[in-house]
Amino acid sequence: MTRLHRVPCRRSLCAALVRSSIVAALAALAAVPPARADARVKVVATLPNIGAVASAVGGERIDLTVIASGTQDAHFVDPKPSFIVKLRSADLLIVNGLDLEIGWVPPLTQGARNPKILQGGKGYMDASSGIRVVEIPSSLSRSEGDVHPYGNPHYLCDPLNAEIVAGTIAEALKRADPAGAGVYEQNLKAFVGRLHEALFGKELVKLAGGSKLSREAMAGTLDAFLDGTSIGGAPLRKHLGGWLGTMAPFRDHPIVTYHKDYSYFAARFGVRVVDYVEPKPGIPPSAKHLEELIGRLKAGEARVLVTRPFVEHRSTDALAERTGVVVLTLPIEVGGDPQATDYFKLFDLVTERLATAFGGEGPAPKGR
Amino acid sequence: MRPMGLARAAALAAAVMLPEASAQDEAPPDRREVEELKAQVQALRDQVQALQQQIEALAKGSVAPSPPAPESLPQPTLAPGQPVAAGPTRSPGLMNPAISGVFQLIGNTSLAGRDDLNGFDLSEAEVAFESTVDPYAKMNLYLSFPADESPEVEEGYATTLTLPASLQLKGGRFKSAFGKWNTLHTHAFPTVERPDALAAFFGEESLTNDGLSLSWLIPNPAGLYIDTTTEVGTAREGVSFNSDSRALTWTEHLAFFLPAGDNATVELGGTASGGQTGPTESLLGDLDAAGLTETLEPDDRLPSNVYGLDVTWKWKPLQQNTYRSFSWQTEALLSRRRVQALDPGLFLTESTVGSAGGYTYVEGQWTKRWKLGLRYDLSGFPDSEVDRLWGASGVVRFIPSEFQELRFQAKYTRFNESAALRFGADDEDDTRLFFEWIPVIGAHGAHKY
Repeated sequence: MTRLHRVPCRRSLCAALVRSSIVAALAALAAVPPARADARVKVVATLPNIGAVASAVGGERIDLTVIASGTQDAHFVDPKPSFIVKLRSADLLIVNGLDLEIGWVPPLTQGARNPKILQGGKGYMDASSGIRVVEIPSSLSRSEGDVHPYGNPHYLCDPLNAEIVAGTIAEALKRADPAGAGVYEQNLKAFVGRLHEALFGKELVKLAGGSKLSREAMAGTLDAFLDGTSIGGAPLRKHLGGWLGTMAPFRDHPIVTYHKDYSYFAARFGVRVVDYVEPKPGIPPSAKHLEELIGRLKAGEARVLVTRPFVEHRSTDALAERTGVVVLTLPIEVGGDPQATDYFKLFDLVTERLATAFGGEGPAPKGR
Repeated sequence: MRPMGLARAAALAAAVMLPEASAQDEAPPDRREVEELKAQVQALRDQVQALQQQIEALAKGSVAPSPPAPESLPQPTLAPGQPVAAGPTRSPGLMNPAISGVFQLIGNTSLAGRDDLNGFDLSEAEVAFESTVDPYAKMNLYLSFPADESPEVEEGYATTLTLPASLQLKGGRFKSAFGKWNTLHTHAFPTVERPDALAAFFGEESLTNDGLSLSWLIPNPAGLYIDTTTEVGTAREGVSFNSDSRALTWTEHLAFFLPAGDNATVELGGTASGGQTGPTESLLGDLDAAGLTETLEPDDRLPSNVYGLDVTWKWKPLQQNTYRSFSWQTEALLSRRRVQALDPGLFLTESTVGSAGGYTYVEGQWTKRWKLGLRYDLSGFPDSEVDRLWGASGVVRFIPSEFQELRFQAKYTRFNESAALRFGADDEDDTRLFFEWIPVIGAHGAHKY
């Protein structure tokens, strides 16, 4: 004989939980204002440098959120859900691109439920569009470390690339906010003008024109242009100022950097990166690699080492102690140093500190 | 000549000598147009020159083709030997999904002499595929190759990308959004094995459903992340929801995420799951022993509910985000289910069994490559009110790179007498040592926060 007791499923705690969560959700929804009071374009930039350029171009017409801090390693930003909330209502997402944010932007965009800012959406902008990318690996293997398959993503270390990025951002903002097209165009012109003056010096820009100088610099013919063009019997180079003028005496000076993030900077300012503290991108230095580096530094191959606020200092301190190399902790992003409050102050700081460090070391070592 | 006079003369000379001098900015409109046309002609010359150089380079097979840059996009100088391309390269091969492979080699020894647990196993190998399906959805597929078992689809689901009102629908086979740990794949566990409570309540395969999941990111004036997820499906795990009747299981999960400054976050969650379950292993054993397998038919549609609460606190200083971190995660589970048993009179009796369990895990990171974790487990079993165990674990994680990890874990477990019998153990305590090696290849998708 079977004695079965079928107890009906009583009104369980489950049902109560479901009900309460739905009620809470509906109450929260009801509390949301029905329309956006702020008509500004909601822009989210992944990195501070991009945010700084967007701020200059967008001005008061955009409501800007920057995800990463200037003091943190942009490769390893945590995709916190609070960023998802920001992205949910964004009109425009500007990413650095070239897979720099591959570890944290996809979870954010896919969680935001905002089709506009998905890759390919009308509110998704890859700031690397139009950038002449360097160091694209000819073959991909993680035995080479954490390589970026599309090339070196630190292109905003060259200020002239900010001119390209600003133009791309202006176009994206004009599409998102056609009514503000005139303002964005005006802001773009002002930003580019200020960038040219900061890079080449006001006097040279006044004499030669910023656009001309920018084209010559991008074509790699700036030196020939400055040396081959005379004003009052003197070459135009005499009027070179700005960041390039600050760095001009230190052309071909060698440096060591912690990570492979100064390729664009080195090409623009003529310094030579001879080695890295990381043996391969993203791989912490081994004792063997540090010993080899110590040997090279002792041999005088470089006297300045550039490191970042967000990397360990034990290795660089040891290198400084054993070789006397001057270690500079330089920001790579706006906000990476208290003084680097915008893109211009970032390069003011970087070029001045580098020049000071180079200035104390004498002439550039011979040969390469 | 006075300096000012020299500057004026120089400016005048420059205006004459330099076609693109800044004087164009101040020129009258007609002249400005001329200057703009000159600039455009110059830009076109540059483009033609660049194209000629590219054609020559292509003929030599040394440089990748790149489109000409418009006048407004000047191109940077490149150091000799640097590869060149205009922006990210794209090829048809990139239409393939992101593919990755990961395996877990686990070495395990029991100091209590439980030889059945000793040895090495390639515990699981996983191949993952991820890609967008079309503009409206993406798909994830995880094929699992467990040791000594047939390959299976561990997860395979499509997720919508464009639903309105902050909704997201997921369909397929997926790990249920029950708390925090249940959603993790085994290689993403912070310890070698899952917490005892999760193993006891959901088995060794997590609570996994074939079905649908609707997630809603709830708008709120505070701008907080509040997400509610409702799932309906057929559960695949074999403990709390193991009915052969294929009755539907539902799960409701509510998550709150609270930023606590730039460096810390708090996440709170609550989950409830309901469904049906069949006879317990002990009942089937008793029926078999009594020779009543053909006579008594146990109920296969017994109600079963599991509730959970989770809290996670993470601290990671922005400036040292790859070197320092600390986290604390705790989950508590409560089960209430109807259970049938064979009484001494050989009748099937039915009662409600309540049981609870949970874990707390803390983890600290002090260098880029090393993490130390400690976990305390306390667990009952959903089909018993008397079986219990507790355990304490310590794990050292060595992470040479993002794509590889080595772990060493020691775990002490104390069972009560009936729980020890459940595991076929003679002793009521056990100490186990684990070693695990997890390499990852390919493009493995980023994990959620």
